Order: sequence, then structure tokens, then C-alpha cells
Amino acid sequence: MKRARRGLLYVVFAALGLTLACAPPGQELVFWQFWPTEVVQPLLDRFEKEHPGVKVRMEQLTWQSGLEKITAAMAAGKVPDLCEMGSTFMPRMLAAGQLTDWSAGVADLRPQLRGWELCSIGDAVYGMPWVLGTRALFYNKTLFAKAGLDSTRPPETWPQLYAAAEAIQKLGGSTRGYGVQAGERYVLFKKFMPFAWGNGGRILTDDLKQAVFDSPENREALAFYISLRKVGMMERQDVLDRAFKSGTLGLEISGAWLCKSIPKDAPGLRYGVALVPRPSEERGTHASFAGGEVLVSFNASKHKAIALQLARFLVAPENALALAQSAQSVQPAVIGADTMAFYREHPEQQVMIKQFETAVPTPNHPAWVDLEAAIEDEVEEALHDRKTAEQAIQDAQRKLTELLAKPVR
Amino acid sequence: MRTHSRATAWAFLSPWIVTFAVFGLFPFAFSLYASLTDYSPIRAGARFVGLSNYGRALADPTFWSSLATTGIFVVGTIPLTTALALGLALAVQPAFRGRTLFRVGFFVPSVVSVVVLSLVFKGLYASGGPINAVLRALGLPAPDWLLSPRMALPAIMAMDVWSASGYYMIVFLAGLEGIPRDLYEAARIDGASAWVRFARITLPMLKPTLLFVLVVNTVRSLQIFAEVFVMTRGGPLHSTTTVVYYLYEQAFYRFDLGYASAIAYLLFLVTLAIAWIQTRLVRPATEPTR
Repeated sequence: MKRARRGLLYVVFAALGLTLACAPPGQELVFWQFWPTEVVQPLLDRFEKEHPGVKVRMEQLTWQSGLEKITAAMAAGKVPDLCEMGSTFMPRMLAAGQLTDWSAGVADLRPQLRGWELCSIGDAVYGMPWVLGTRALFYNKTLFAKAGLDSTRPPETWPQLYAAAEAIQKLGGSTRGYGVQAGERYVLFKKFMPFAWGNGGRILTDDLKQAVFDSPENREALAFYISLRKVGMMERQDVLDRAFKSGTLGLEISGAWLCKSIPKDAPGLRYGVALVPRPSEERGTHASFAGGEVLVSFNASKHKAIALQLARFLVAPENALALAQSAQSVQPAVIGADTMAFYREHPEQQVMIKQFETAVPTPNHPAWVDLEAAIEDEVEEALHDRKTAEQAIQDAQRKLTELLAKPVR
Repeated sequence: MRTHSRATAWAFLSPWIVTFAVFGLFPFAFSLYASLTDYSPIRAGARFVGLSNYGRALADPTFWSSLATTGIFVVGTIPLTTALALGLALAVQPAFRGRTLFRVGFFVPSVVSVVVLSLVFKGLYASGGPINAVLRALGLPAPDWLLSPRMALPAIMAMDVWSASGYYMIVFLAGLEGIPRDLYEAARIDGASAWVRFARITLPMLKPTLLFVLVVNTVRSLQIFAEVFVMTRGGPLHSTTTVVYYLYEQAFYRFDLGYASAIAYLLFLVTLAIAWIQTRLVRPATEPTR
């Protein structure tokens, strides 16, 4: 009996050994990303089919805790092979010096994709723009009509924006003209700076060494932004979006996630999307905030070469479009995406792509988090009437200068 | 036999001991080490910097303002939470029809996730939200609760008092049930009024419970984070930046984990000092020695 059992054990071990010996020399690629599994998995299945022997182990991160998880992985030296990063993470990640330099591996893709500034320092490229996101002007066509405005002609300039908001505000009741962003970190910047950038204002010099925030352009932009409070409401992003969807807010700057949620939450809402207004017809640009999702690999990643292959596969027009189409809150980084059939059929989303052409990315400075906070604090001071626009811009300049003088930790 | 039972005891205790060592002791020791270095999770190598992170925190005005904000939160919520919890416990202790329903109703908010509660209150506090709708209907001014630097912290404090009272009510109820009934009967026979019975019997007999509630609630309040993270992210204008939120920003936005650890240890010392003072002030009277 004992001998038989031992014999059985030998057979099991021999079979196990044979199985391991015959297995193909496959590689398991670890990919961390933020999209729902059902959106990304079909793409990964196709990649595995096209690359026999490669298995992609995908892990879904959340925006609430994803950065913490990536940080912990970097601290432990157990990083994934390929990782999706929000563009706002990038200045800190680039400063850490742990991302793989992909400059050579992506050189041929550079003319085909937009958004390289999100993952570059000078000419060196440390990632690949996958999908992009920006902010544009959302307007309620019904409220436009009620206020006697032409709902086919959204405001293109600051005076037109103010006049439209004023007319809608005058409708009274719970109706508000323009949604001014306030009371929320890391969001206010994206709502105010489009006006500053559009007016020719800047934050830092090109070499990122000096602050140039105190300028007549930025002062004028902040004064205009503050003035919008008189013809609207001041609230956080989610509240403004809810007000817009409930049909009580005429105009706000928001992102493509609204295009996705409106058909579900407010199917009857008649709305349009337009470029962020510029200062006047004679000058300025329709600037906005340029953000997006970037694919990166780490110096400590085990399978860097295949990670690059997977990244190239994911940013290919048909694959990035498949993701963007499913998510509907971002657009492919591919140049000319607005001519794709999907976007021709979805003009609101098409505007977002157009908007990205004049959108401005944040500077990839290692201390960007502090620089952004300094600007937001001062803009908020002005929004709460604790400072004039001029004082706030001056104080922001002083804070930025102090921060730039500090050694980067 | 004794060796065997000891081994069994260790075997049963080991899951807790291992968990405590890995998730309690190790982080505690590691953060002490980190606080003495310029450790950053995204940068290789950490340099020993001695006590300079502590010195930096003591010279950092934002650290002090976050400590002040936390102090206001603690001082503003603990007396209210304690009084409300005790009041509720006294109200639902006597037998009456529907007592269980009231007890459950008051307790439920404390078992709901803080994140869920914070999201609900974020909606309630919106400028066009239900609270302001009621205020407007009554002809009262409707403030910008979470947008105003003056109102944001009190708004979070109000939510905390409401949500935490139910839990401490249960603790007080347990304490009240432990007071011998015959003390009240004797006092009643002696003609003691309700207030005298409360002041002379209930409160002194509840001292150990009161101490527990005060210490536990203080430690919890000093660590206020989730409500701030969900509702205001420390704003507007830093008016709700508490110490733990500030150290979270240092650790996970600026990746300055050495500095964040030093702040955590300073908060630990503050907590320890306050808890010690509380135990001194509310220590139960000891039996007189003969």
C-alpha cells in the first residue's frame, strides 16, 4: 500500500516536471491601468493573440488610491511593466527619475500623436500619450433660447460669455448664468488658467527657472474670472455639473465626462459644447487645460521591451479609439482623431479634440504640486474678496518665486 | 501538559500577534526611522537628517495652522458629541414603547462608512442643496457651507457630532446599565430630585465610561481625515486642513515621507499628552484606604 502511494507520488511529480519542461517560454507582463476591465480586456486579448507566449496580467487601479499604490510599488521596487499615469502625476514621476526613457522607441510615433509634452523633459520622452482630456465650454441651448440668445451661436469671446451669462441669470428663480469653480483643490487651476493662457498669460519661463505669473494678461484674466461671479454661481465641480444637468445652469467649463453622463442623467437636456472663449475677436486664443493619460514603464520593470510593444499597440488609432469610444470621457491622442467616423457623429466630443489643439499642458516642474497650490490659493483669495485680482496675482508671483528658489526635495 | 497548553495559547494568539507586528509595530517603527531621514518613496536611497524634519515642522506655519484647525475641531466636537451621546443614552435607557427603534436609529449613522456620510453631506451642504432650501423657505440666510472659509470647518464638525454620537450613546448605555438600581431607589426614598440623582449618582458612577469616551473620541478626532478628504480637500483657503490631511498631502502629493512621518510623530506626542491630561482630570475616585 505504502509502495503504491509512493509510486503514485513519483508519477505526479514526473508529470508536473514534464508539464513545466514543455511549457512555452512565455512572459507575463504586468499592466496597471484605471479603466474598467471590460473596456481594456478585449484590447489585451487581441494583443496576446498577436504576441503568442505573452500573457498580460492587468490590474485595475482607482483614481482615489491609484497614486498611493503606484508610489508604494515604487518604494518597494515592485513596479509593473507598463502603467497608466494621469498627466497630473507626471511632473513628480519625471522628477523621480524612475521612468524608462522611450525617446528612441517612440521616435516614429511622434508625428502621429498629440500630447508628448505631458511625458517629456526637453527632447527626452518618458512615456506615450494614450488618450487625452481637456476642458471646454458647455452651454444650455434651452436657457439660451429662453434668454433671447441664439442657441446656435455659443459665446466666442469674453464679452459675449459675460453677456450670455448675464442674460440667463436675469431669467431668475433658481437659474444661474455661469458656473464659477471654487472650493476645490486641483480643479480650480484648470478652470481659471484657460482664461489666463488664452489672454497670453504664462506661469513660468520656458526653462522653468523663473516665475512670470505677474503680468497684465494674468491680472486681466483673473479680474474677468472674478467678475463672472456676478452673473452666476460659485460652486465645486460636481455641484456645477449637477446644476448644468438639471437645466438650471447656463454655462460652465467642464470635461468630456459630461458628454457621457448627460444622455443617462438628463436625456432631455439640449446642450452644446464650444471652445473656451478668448479675450476678444482680435486677440488671444481659445486656450484650455491639456491633460490626459500616459503610458509609462519603469527602470525597474522586468519586461521593458514588451511593455513598449504593448504601449505602441494600445495607442494605435483603432485601439485608442476603442477605449475612447467606450469611456467617452477622453479622446484618442492620435492626430486627426476628429475626422474619425465616431467623432463626426458626436460633434460635442469632436469639439473636445478641437479644443485640445489650443490647450496648454502644465509645466513639468518637480515642485509643480506646490506651484499649482500657490496659484489656486491666491485665485481663491480673490474669489472670496480677500484680495483684489492685482494683489492676488502679485502674491502668487512672490510665492512662485520663493518656491522656485527652494532646492527640490 | 503546561508546555502544551502554552503552545496552544501561542498558536491561537499568533494570527493577531503576526498581524499586529506587520501592520502595527513595523509601520510604527519604520515611520520613526523615516522621520529621521529624507525618505521619499519615489526616490532611491534615504539620507539620515537627524531631527531636522521635526525642526522643519515646528518652523512650518502650515503645520501650526493645521494643528490649530485640528484643535478647533477637537474642542468644538468632543463636548458636543459627549453631551449629545449622554443625553441620548439617558433618553433611550428607560423602558418605553419603540425604545429599540430609537436606539437603532441613533446608532445607525456610526456604522455607515465615513466616506458615504461625507458624500451625502456634501450634497446636503451644496449651495442649492436641501439644507439651504429649508433655510430659504424659512426666510433665513443660506450660507455657502463648504465654500466659505468661515463655514466649512463648522459644517464638517456638525456632521461629525451627528454621526459619532450614536456610537458613544451605546457606550454610555452600557455604563448606565452597570449602575446599581438600588442606589437610585435609596436616593428617591431620601427625596433626591432627578438632577441630584444625575449629579450625585449617574455622573460619578459613569466616570470610567466618560473617561473612555473622552480618550477614544479625542484620539479619533485628532486623526480626522476622511471627512476632509471627501468634502473639502483641506480647502477653502486651508480652512479645513487638519494635521492628518496635511501629512497625507506631504506624503502622497509631495512624496516627502520623511517630513510626513515627523508630523505624524508630533501628532502622536500631542495625542499622548492630551490623553494623559484627560486621564488625570477624569480619573475615577479610588477606594479610600483604611
